[in-house]
Amino acid sequence: MDKKIDWPSYITQMSLLLDLQLEEPRQAELALQLARIAEIAAPLMAYPLDERQEVGGVWKL
Amino acid sequence: MNLASLTIKALHQRWTSKQLSAVEITEQYLAAIDAANPTLNAWTTLTAARARQNAIVLDKQRDSGDLRGPLAAIPYAVKNLFDVKDEVTLAGAELFSQRPAATEDAWAIQQLNRSGAILTGMLNMDAYAYGFTTENSHYGACRNPLDMARIAGGSSGGSAAAVAAGLAHFSLGTDTNGSIRVPASLCGVFGLKPTFGRLSRRGSHPFVASLDHIGPLARHVEDLALIYDQLQGHDPGDRFQSDHPVNLVSTQLGQQKKTLKVAVLGGYFTQWADDQARAVTAKVALALGADHEVELVDAELARSAAFLLTASEGGSHYLNALRDMPERFEANSRERLLAGCMLPASWPMQAQRFREHFTRQVLALFEKFDLLIAPATPCAATVIGQQSIEIQGKTLPTKASMGMLAQPLSFVGLPVCTAPVRTDNGLSIGVQLIAAPYQEATTLEAAWRLEQNNITLQHIF
Repeated sequence: MDKKIDWPSYITQMSLLLDLQLEEPRQAELALQLARIAEIAAPLMAYPLDERQEVGGVWKL
Repeated sequence: MNLASLTIKALHQRWTSKQLSAVEITEQYLAAIDAANPTLNAWTTLTAARARQNAIVLDKQRDSGDLRGPLAAIPYAVKNLFDVKDEVTLAGAELFSQRPAATEDAWAIQQLNRSGAILTGMLNMDAYAYGFTTENSHYGACRNPLDMARIAGGSSGGSAAAVAAGLAHFSLGTDTNGSIRVPASLCGVFGLKPTFGRLSRRGSHPFVASLDHIGPLARHVEDLALIYDQLQGHDPGDRFQSDHPVNLVSTQLGQQKKTLKVAVLGGYFTQWADDQARAVTAKVALALGADHEVELVDAELARSAAFLLTASEGGSHYLNALRDMPERFEANSRERLLAGCMLPASWPMQAQRFREHFTRQVLALFEKFDLLIAPATPCAATVIGQQSIEIQGKTLPTKASMGMLAQPLSFVGLPVCTAPVRTDNGLSIGVQLIAAPYQEATTLEAAWRLEQNNITLQHIF
């Protein structure tokens, strides 16, 4: 999944949205972190949860 | 005599019977901390003046017939993310070092004050509680008393090291993804992560509000149960706290006559455990009569979901500071936190929805079993600076992987006591004793039985 993502562009747009100014080395490190998180997120996002599945209310165990 | 060889009850009894004064106890502990801490690096803040003042007051109260609570005259310390009146709460980060001092003690510390415990200071941790090794780049690495070349684990590394070194009778830590259970496992002490919402977190610096727990660490199960009982109680100021009634557990230890129905968690929890971790788990399984192996289906996804919640919620706490003063962030964490602020919203939402789905699957196992067991860490403590661990032929990053067996369980919020077991090479790996929600008494009973049968690691002082 992440191989198709243009992380530098994503970071540029997100930086505008979040009002962040990032130097080049930080952007590069950020791209690595985001790619890693995307890899972790992919199987979870593919998990077929029931569409009525609500968020966890763990404090009401 | 080294006072660390006594249980809390035994030390407290020496105080009530006037064999020892609180002043003597406090001075002995402060001197020991002073001698050991430059190498151990467990304390980042000492509260010696407060401890001495408390001790003087306690002795006067005792002499006038007021014996306070069961923790009177017992020295302890807290992870440096609990507010301590007149001290700066560091949360392991240079970022907070110039902030104003706290104006009151955290709710948990107030409970311990009422019980007469003596606070000696605040303990080292991973910056922002975001890590499993306490190799803090600003405050230095905390060392493991079992082998000073090795990590204490994290993020409550100082909390485990202080107790394992005999420099505190107990400590408080926090656990978001394993931060009590991992250092307890690696330093060889007992740690209790209660049910999510069981104990008030008010006055502690948050990391991931939907996953954070507080809990105690100690060398003996009866100590752990006693402290846990003192920490219970309803705090109207913590909206995340459950309204489940108080259930005092210390008087229940050893009273349960029934055989516990115990199962070992297989699959993910075996796959990511090295031979030593498998061996200690098998030893505990045998001692507790576990004759079933069950699998937590989708445990790996639960870890992923906990990771996404951590990244997203943890990062969001720091967005303003990341924008305004990025140079003051710890290099290990800065871009990790920032990445968490940039995730598509649907990722943490999917994680929260998956959390409910997974929780229902896990709770179903408690219809058949009282207790589930699994290693707390994939392996024993690594050498400080070691970047990777080898687990069953796979190479994994140390910093991210030490908590991988703890994460799926805190994701659900189950109560877990970590019981330490000596490994063949003289280190420690903890075994997680996992019970149904609010069954802290069951997890502590199992730990107590293991301790009584000499299965668990004992520190000799």
